[in-house]
Amino acid sequence: MANLLEQALNKQPVANQQLSPVFTFDSDGKVRPMAPKGKLLPSRIFGSPITYAKDIKQDIVNIGKASKGKANDHELGRINDIGVKLGSLAIAAYLCVKNPLKLNKTMQFVGFGSFFASMALLPKLLIQAPLKARTGVDIHQKYIDSQGRKKMLFQDPQYDLTDLYSQEDLDRIGKKLNVSENLPDRNSFIKQRAKKVGVQGNTLWMLSAGAAPIFSALMCSAIEKPINNGLMRAEMSSSERALKNRVNLKSTIPNGKDINHKNIIEKGKEKLFNKSFEKFINNNLEEPLDEKMIKKISNMFPNVNSASVQDAIEAEIKENMIIKETLNLDMVKKALKGIVSEDVFANLTEEQAKNLDKAISAKSYKGISEILTSVAGGNKRQQVKLSSEITNVLQNTKKTADIPKVKEVKNSLYNLLNSMSELTHNKKLLDNFIASRVGDKSGTYIANTWDKVTNTFIKGLKLTDKELRAVSQGNMSVIDNKLNSLVKDGSYEKLVNSLFNIINEFEANTGEEFISTIDKYSENIFRDARRGFKSQGMHKIADKIIAAKDAPVKENIGTLKNTVMLNAKERALGASSSFYRIMQTIDVYKRAQDGTLLKQIEKKLVEQTKDAGSDISVEEAKKISAKLVDYCKKVMVNATTVDYVEKLKTKGFELSETEYKTVLGVLFDADAGDTISDIVKESKLLEGFKNYKKTCMEKIANWQNSITPELQRRVVTGITNSANAAERNNLAGKPAKLIIQDAAKQMYNSKKWLKLWGALGAVIAGTVLLTGLFLGRKGKTEKEVEAKSKVNE
Amino acid sequence: MVEILGKHNVSNAFASRVSFKESQDKEKEEHAKDKVLYSETKKHPITTAVKIQADKFTKAFTTYPKKGMSGSKNANFYEFLTMGMVPYLAGSAAMIGVFNLASKFFDTPGAVNSSKLGKRMGIGVVLYGLFKVISRKFIEKPVKWRYGIDVNLPYKKKIDELPEESNKDNLISYEYHKVFESVDFPRYDLLYNNEEYGDTRNAYFDKVAKKMGYQKSEFSDQQTKDKIREKVVQTRLFSTLSSYLWAATGVAIAAQKPWESFVINPKIRINNFRNHIKVANAAKQASDKAVKNVAKYDYFIKDFGTRFVTSVKELVNKGSKSSNVAGRILLGSAVGMTLLGNFMTLKNFNNNRGNKSHGTSPLIDESKEKVVC
Repeated sequence: MANLLEQALNKQPVANQQLSPVFTFDSDGKVRPMAPKGKLLPSRIFGSPITYAKDIKQDIVNIGKASKGKANDHELGRINDIGVKLGSLAIAAYLCVKNPLKLNKTMQFVGFGSFFASMALLPKLLIQAPLKARTGVDIHQKYIDSQGRKKMLFQDPQYDLTDLYSQEDLDRIGKKLNVSENLPDRNSFIKQRAKKVGVQGNTLWMLSAGAAPIFSALMCSAIEKPINNGLMRAEMSSSERALKNRVNLKSTIPNGKDINHKNIIEKGKEKLFNKSFEKFINNNLEEPLDEKMIKKISNMFPNVNSASVQDAIEAEIKENMIIKETLNLDMVKKALKGIVSEDVFANLTEEQAKNLDKAISAKSYKGISEILTSVAGGNKRQQVKLSSEITNVLQNTKKTADIPKVKEVKNSLYNLLNSMSELTHNKKLLDNFIASRVGDKSGTYIANTWDKVTNTFIKGLKLTDKELRAVSQGNMSVIDNKLNSLVKDGSYEKLVNSLFNIINEFEANTGEEFISTIDKYSENIFRDARRGFKSQGMHKIADKIIAAKDAPVKENIGTLKNTVMLNAKERALGASSSFYRIMQTIDVYKRAQDGTLLKQIEKKLVEQTKDAGSDISVEEAKKISAKLVDYCKKVMVNATTVDYVEKLKTKGFELSETEYKTVLGVLFDADAGDTISDIVKESKLLEGFKNYKKTCMEKIANWQNSITPELQRRVVTGITNSANAAERNNLAGKPAKLIIQDAAKQMYNSKKWLKLWGALGAVIAGTVLLTGLFLGRKGKTEKEVEAKSKVNE
Repeated sequence: MVEILGKHNVSNAFASRVSFKESQDKEKEEHAKDKVLYSETKKHPITTAVKIQADKFTKAFTTYPKKGMSGSKNANFYEFLTMGMVPYLAGSAAMIGVFNLASKFFDTPGAVNSSKLGKRMGIGVVLYGLFKVISRKFIEKPVKWRYGIDVNLPYKKKIDELPEESNKDNLISYEYHKVFESVDFPRYDLLYNNEEYGDTRNAYFDKVAKKMGYQKSEFSDQQTKDKIREKVVQTRLFSTLSSYLWAATGVAIAAQKPWESFVINPKIRINNFRNHIKVANAAKQASDKAVKNVAKYDYFIKDFGTRFVTSVKELVNKGSKSSNVAGRILLGSAVGMTLLGNFMTLKNFNNNRGNKSHGTSPLIDESKEKVVC
């Protein structure tokens, strides 16, 4: 043994020779462990993005190594963190795809981000930072070991690494922890205290980490609104940009023919669609193009949400592809054998033969029968009979015989498909543009403005939580009281101004300018499509897209352009009317409060009574007027279109004709005046409100109680002071009662949720912060050690 | 010798060697107190797992937080990790609560909508946990069958704690670890001379060496240790990555519509069951025909199973085109990662075992110089 040792230790060392990675010889030739290279990393509350990126890169390398079985505990631990993030990202990505709404899609990733943010940030803010400020110990202090691995200093309390603290660090911590300067072995004492803080802080961190979902949900709730607005703005501008690009592209191409449309279409979803269409056609090439097949094929064309266009496609295939390609003179002769003699065809004059050819190519059965009947001769009765027989036979012939196979009309079908795909693509751009502003879905401009207006209104009413619940459950007496007190106090003017600002912005974005923009774009797109279909001889489809420029108003009914325009107008009108109705409700309550409404009613009642040919005493007028003031309020809060249609003879109102006219007169007549004008001074801002009242006066108050077919027609242009049911409905707007109830429901639910979880979040955060104050305190033993040292001094 | 080294140095060198030997012996003795729960796991796998988890669960909520918050010098990393159960469970509860608790204050339509979402979130949390735990077995079990390496093999560790202010007497505690929980320091020592595996010193390693295709030898431990370590690393890597993808798939399954109408509330389920029994009894008394007309009662498990199957179908086939594609990718990536994991962990990359068949490669390469220490 001694020999062996002697032999080993007498061996001449080579300078800096290494026995193993952890041992070396020193200059005296003695075996020494190598100096550790571990050191503390700069203590930061927030890490740098570069370090973060480097760590990710290292993690990816580690995964590669681990797949070959080469990894250590530290690397495997980090891979677990990657797994958590990978899984969470997969969840967010799937839910993003599954949700149709952009806001929901975005919120999946916001949720993912906020969850990890709350996991990372909360312990920093609630535990790490306060503890560091108070004790000087960073519980998440990282160090880099001799192998270059980054780890937490206090990860394993049994693996003491406090030796890595410099004297400067120890002095700083000692000062913060109030460790006596003269304590023997002061450094060890400080290290022990630091380790204790590390253990305590990490335990608190682990115990409170379960609250991350609560804070994540609260964060999401707080940032949902701004995200929604951001997405809305982005959607509005991107949809307009796409539409503008499309329209500009077209205008640069001569003859309105877009040579690039195929590329554009193929880039879109239509490419997939074309494939399925192609597949269907190729699978049915030998099939006859009969009624059933035509139905199937026409249903496969892109849908432009217009039944009349879809019907026109079917009709075009029937007319254009069957008859055009199957009807000729020989067929006519063959079909009419036994009805019209050969002589008739032989005796045709040159002109008659020419006309017959024309009639055949125009597929005019009437024309064919007229020519043939006139040549065949006979009395009028015989001629009528023959004519009817010819028409019947020809019609039946087309249906039963000589039906082409699908392959014969394949090219025509593809041409039609291309034109329809182009139309669908362009219409989609137009639809997106309109939908981003007035679309019937959440997240659009109209929806967000609705929320803004109703929330501002309901906040202005200053409902307590109890009242909010009562209102959300349909208790409307509270509303009347709240409106009465609103117009009494000073906040009334502020509310009117805020509402007017929102409504004014809404009018600017969805008013006349918006409608004329849609008109401009749709004119461009649909006019171009019309030309395209016309050039293919598809007149029926062309007419269903947009009427000819000089066509009478009647022909616009049911066209694609008309439908698009009408829907956009109705949506904007419905919302703006509801907004103005809120203003008017406030105005009526104010007029009732300051007494002007009563005077106006008295005056109007006397006028109306006189118009009706009777008389009313002053006392009687006063008595009825007092009652009608409440009715005016009630109309604004409750009346629906049905109540207007029934001239307020419905349950809850039951007014006489004179009373009805009086009420509507003071509500909508411009001469009656309003209190809004006293607050909102800019006449431009008031224009919309005054127009609304004027239109209501014309189309709701003055309308006759009978709905004629003419009135029901949904015609954009050419309407006088009559209104169709939809327009009247939109004009009447949503009653304040329903607006308040719906908004109160939403507000109550949100408030309740926020109250419950916000309070819980606050309690947890408070508890963690408070608990943090008790960490790092001196224990009994530590106090004893310090006391002992003082005695020794 | 003494002259050469100097008296002091010699005594130090011997002292350190003696103390090293002593400490080694002591360590062995200490380790001998640690017990691999092989037969327990084999005979009663579920009971043992439940016992271990129950012990961890209890301590995670009681003993360990107390020790941690007081800054105990006996607190250790095992305790810190075990306390991870607290945020895991509390977080899951919070996740379910955030979407469900407030709904009882809402009006009816609001509550209905909130409940639909809440149910899916709740099921999502449950399926996340279930899929995560179960899917790890898809990788771990085949490795156990193929090589005899159970990466989850538990052992009970005895801890002798240091006396503290608050605790001076009760200084022994137990922890449940896994033999291979550290790939840097696997507890191979617990596998030597372990009667559970056989009579010989290397019984465990012989078994693994045989499964890996090595010739029978006396040095199977030296040969297999590195390979075992590699397999453990691979198993841990792929079981971890695949488990999170499976967990995500679980959440995606829970996001489907069938769960919206799933009755979870036990009170309602019991009431429904009572009503069903009433109707069934009434029908029995009425006629045979009436019995036939009574709808079958959907027991919880059956109801859950039916909805689960429908949801999986909806995930891959019955949703919108894009969500179907996304669902298939998600499920595919989970299955794919598991299969890749199986391939990587089960394929024997042992270059020393010979080319043709297992059991032919020699344990010691005779051509190389050997040092016996």
